Amino acid sequence: MTTLDQKPARAEGRKDPWSQMLEKVGKHQDRQAYHALFEHFGPQIKYYAMANGLASHAEELVQEVFVSIWRRSCLYDWRKAAASTWIFTIARNQRIDMLRKMKRTSAEMPVETEDLWQIPGENEDEPVTSLHRLMSERRVRESLSHLPEEQITVIAKVYMESKSHQMVADELNIPLGTVKSRVRLALNKLKVILQDQNV
Amino acid sequence: MTRHHPDTLTLMEYSAGNLSEPHALCIRLHLDQCPHCRSRVDTLDSLGAVMMESQPQVDVSSDMFDSILSRIDSEPDITEKYISAQARRMSPLQKLLGDDLNDLPWKRQLGDVSVLDISEKFPGQSEQVVLQKLAAGGKAPAHTHRGDETTIVLQGAFADQKGVFNQWDFVVLNQEDEHKPVAVGCEDCITLSVLSAPVKLTGTFTRLLNPFIR
Repeated sequence: MTTLDQKPARAEGRKDPWSQMLEKVGKHQDRQAYHALFEHFGPQIKYYAMANGLASHAEELVQEVFVSIWRRSCLYDWRKAAASTWIFTIARNQRIDMLRKMKRTSAEMPVETEDLWQIPGENEDEPVTSLHRLMSERRVRESLSHLPEEQITVIAKVYMESKSHQMVADELNIPLGTVKSRVRLALNKLKVILQDQNV
Repeated sequence: MTRHHPDTLTLMEYSAGNLSEPHALCIRLHLDQCPHCRSRVDTLDSLGAVMMESQPQVDVSSDMFDSILSRIDSEPDITEKYISAQARRMSPLQKLLGDDLNDLPWKRQLGDVSVLDISEKFPGQSEQVVLQKLAAGGKAPAHTHRGDETTIVLQGAFADQKGVFNQWDFVVLNQEDEHKPVAVGCEDCITLSVLSAPVKLTGTFTRLLNPFIR
């Protein structure tokens, strides 16, 4: 999975190989590491763009995401997010930004995309490392492999095709309540559901 | 401090990038002040990353990496510019509304209530975005909601039948909720609300107060 000759990270809290590479880009403008990230994440981002209905702009989106990765890599902090999570949020923001710019001029957008959707670790003051963050991606990957297909399908539509719960319900021809309960069951397994909500 | 949080499904739609701009703003403002929800969103962002890697992959053109490199090389100080822009960055609220919420061109509605419609800051969005100010100790008339109303408290606190809502608390009201908010504490209570449909007044002020919160 990796072109790096370092041992893959096993212990909790260790950097995964992609995060190590992203850090090299940020610290040393390492183009070899940048290329490895491109080879790995470029095809994922292209699919993401296409699934979102941006087929004719898919390569443009990949390019924008990678330029953005280069530009802000010096702010990347592996203690705040795994590289793949960080890159996903950049892809998401660039996708939103592209759609906004298709509809409007920048003068018509007093609020920038990044004012609304944050990249983890940026504009945050807290200096402490959140162990939760380091573990979350690994935990999510493991939990996800145990989820029933019908739950994964719903989540994939929400994340990859930017469909609202209502749109997913319409498309799969199931009630909105069923969509919501599938998502809730899945998020429960992923331990995202708030335990102590006292409303 | 913050005790009323967004629902997990809403946070998921935020993480997936599917919320409208005004709704995303409400979430963002809450996240900035709520480490608990911030960490839930971190997990949800990881879910997005894992979903992305588990999908099919599509080959990119062979010359794309070279064009990315030439773009980067044509702008050698690309990173420095980004860092200095980040350092100058204002908070979203400050950017949108300036330094002092009390200084805005509030429109007095009736009694204790003032409003300011800021929908024009979100061109192309169908929702109405409204700031509401309830004078310290003041009461708002009873009303229900035709659609959903998402509210975040920006200053002070208010109380209604459901509890006390402090700064950065997040509230969603729908058709079933009739509420009669009262500003508590010694400060005016200022909220930001995103409305999918106009409010329906239930008290005696109906005629006078339309358009209170619309």
